[in-house]
Amino acid sequence: MIVNYMTIAVSLLLLPPLVAGGLSLLITSSRRLHLTNLTSIGTLIAAEAAITRTVLAQGSVTAFGEIVYIDALSSVILFIIGTVGLACSLYMRSYMDEQVAQGVIEANRLNLFFFLFHMFILAMVVATIANSLGVQWVAIEATTLATTFLIAFWRRRESLEAGWKYLILCSVGISLALFGVVLMYYSSLRVLGDVSSALNITQLQQVADQLDPHILKLAFVFLFVGYGTKVGLVPMHSWLPDAYTEAPAPVAAMLAGVLETVAVYAILRSRGIVDQAVSPEFTGGLLALFGLLSFALAAFFILLQHNYKRLFAYSSIEHMGLAMIGFGVGGPIGNFGGLFHLVNHAFAKSLAFFAAGNIHRRFKTVEIDQVHGLITVLPWSALALIVAGLALAALPPFALFASEMQIITALGTSGAPGEWFQSGPRIPVVILLFCSLVAFAGFLARITGMVWGEAPKDIPQGEQWTVGHIPIILLGAVLVGFCWALPTPFRQLLDTASAMLVNR
Amino acid sequence: MVSWLTPHIGTQLVDLGSALLLLTCFAIIAQRRLSACVDLFALQSLFLAMTAALVAFLTGTPHIYYAAALTVLVKVIVIPRVLKRVIERLNVTRELVMNINVPASLLICGALVMIAFFITQPIIPFGHLLTRDSLAIALAIVLIGFFTMIARQKAVTQMIAFLVMENGLFLGATAATYGMPLIVELGVFFDVLVAALIAGIYTNRLQDAFDSVDTNRLSELKE
Repeated sequence: MIVNYMTIAVSLLLLPPLVAGGLSLLITSSRRLHLTNLTSIGTLIAAEAAITRTVLAQGSVTAFGEIVYIDALSSVILFIIGTVGLACSLYMRSYMDEQVAQGVIEANRLNLFFFLFHMFILAMVVATIANSLGVQWVAIEATTLATTFLIAFWRRRESLEAGWKYLILCSVGISLALFGVVLMYYSSLRVLGDVSSALNITQLQQVADQLDPHILKLAFVFLFVGYGTKVGLVPMHSWLPDAYTEAPAPVAAMLAGVLETVAVYAILRSRGIVDQAVSPEFTGGLLALFGLLSFALAAFFILLQHNYKRLFAYSSIEHMGLAMIGFGVGGPIGNFGGLFHLVNHAFAKSLAFFAAGNIHRRFKTVEIDQVHGLITVLPWSALALIVAGLALAALPPFALFASEMQIITALGTSGAPGEWFQSGPRIPVVILLFCSLVAFAGFLARITGMVWGEAPKDIPQGEQWTVGHIPIILLGAVLVGFCWALPTPFRQLLDTASAMLVNR
Repeated sequence: MVSWLTPHIGTQLVDLGSALLLLTCFAIIAQRRLSACVDLFALQSLFLAMTAALVAFLTGTPHIYYAAALTVLVKVIVIPRVLKRVIERLNVTRELVMNINVPASLLICGALVMIAFFITQPIIPFGHLLTRDSLAIALAIVLIGFFTMIARQKAVTQMIAFLVMENGLFLGATAATYGMPLIVELGVFFDVLVAALIAGIYTNRLQDAFDSVDTNRLSELKE
């Protein structure tokens, strides 16, 4: 009985984006496109909730004969896909319609946008629930293919450039990850034999301690470089600021909030297997080193930015670096903080890009210097920008403060892993705190400059209420709320997921 | 294993196939004419399909035959045609400016091959007897593709470099593991095909927008 129930629930994860994607190509009316989209996301979330309940009760579920594997970790990622997807869909209702009305996007290309959006979501869901590491790779490469035209959707020269860069860099990066998958298979074949299930997480987890550590180390390096490109870790990050600047705001929110998270998830999945054969110091050291590098470099780039979308893009690199430090340090606090940080970052970053999208539509510029007096021009968006900015600077009372504190605490108590950090915990903690101070200063200076001051004369003032404001308010509320109290089921889910990451 | 072929000859043949793939890599790096690069890529894919078919025959693994057939269809026929059409439309025939000139590139590629053998040295003894040297060659091809991507500027050449990397990966998968699970292989082929088509569309749009497919013209986005 439970099997049938799960099969239905998993189909309800996969079918809505698939069907909605197909329908989008046939529908032309904008209202129906939005309706299809919201129905699809709604069904997705309902299915996620059902699956999460079962996962919490049983630990993990498989469906379609071991093709699909979902545990607490994948449930957390599914939760992020669902909620950020819903927020983006609501926001798109006002954003895309206005873009069409202004003639920025031709009305007959709207259905293409929705088709690609659905394929994007589908690919991410598949990457999250796939049991086979190979299928996961295929799905993550598919996300690159689906989003490259979304990034270049405005078809300006800059957006074409950003899209091309994204396509090439991410495809190349992810090809290296495929070599990692091949090596993983190479090692598991010797234990499991030449069966197609030899790449399945369920199988690999059982035999992981018998796999050859040399091959696994090499495999993990390739996987980490490959998926790390997708996460946007330094030094493979150069596509990221361009892509986020040129992509339409809801797409940028999805890229920053969800796609990066899915790529982190892919790294964590293979890490779980590698860590059983190789000392966790090895993978943890890599994660922490590149996390710290990304965090530090991005903090200084934040200080230099004169383009508000690039500001948020670098802040993405920064926060992903921070989450990586959390996972790298490990332990109950580090892993919990890392996961919690992923969730919070997804919310804060989509809020930031929604605000940025509203500002861009009104001011027609991405230059920080040319935006002043936001509080009179767009009061709601100004508020959203302040909330997102302060949250991303990790100030209390926002949830990112809590998760950043957890990560720093973990780093301070157990120290960074691996041979990279022989000097003990003190130096990494000092670097971390100093860089977060730098990022904080950069954020505060830029945002206050945009929010206050006298508005340019030629910009119309006042903000009309739209559907797009609902996700903005909800996200802001959640960001504050999560700092004080986590809803019990969600907390339970995070606890289970981080416990899974720890016991290796 | 087929009886009249001793394992020794089988290994030699597979090694020969892999070496031919590596050789075409060097030819691609040394070639300035874009259409010749496409031909060389098609030739390389043909060698790949032959090597894969050989492995399938020697080991009696039927699903590698499918992969070999798909390689012929996708990488020998469809993708080269798409690329040729792109080149025709764009009216670019030669890679004029090279970041790194041909002799230096060839030397670097030689070094990359040595690095690949060095990296795979510790893990090669674990492989199947028949194909284990191919793993090092596969990594070498991936690295050379990666390098070509950096060293050449035309969008078309970068695409070919990406496809060469993919060929190297496929050789690695066939050689090291006698092929990935079929579902994964199909997915990879689908991704590669779509990527090539998308890149083809992109080069057209880049040509329209920039009047050039030199990727060094793509420099409007800066800090």
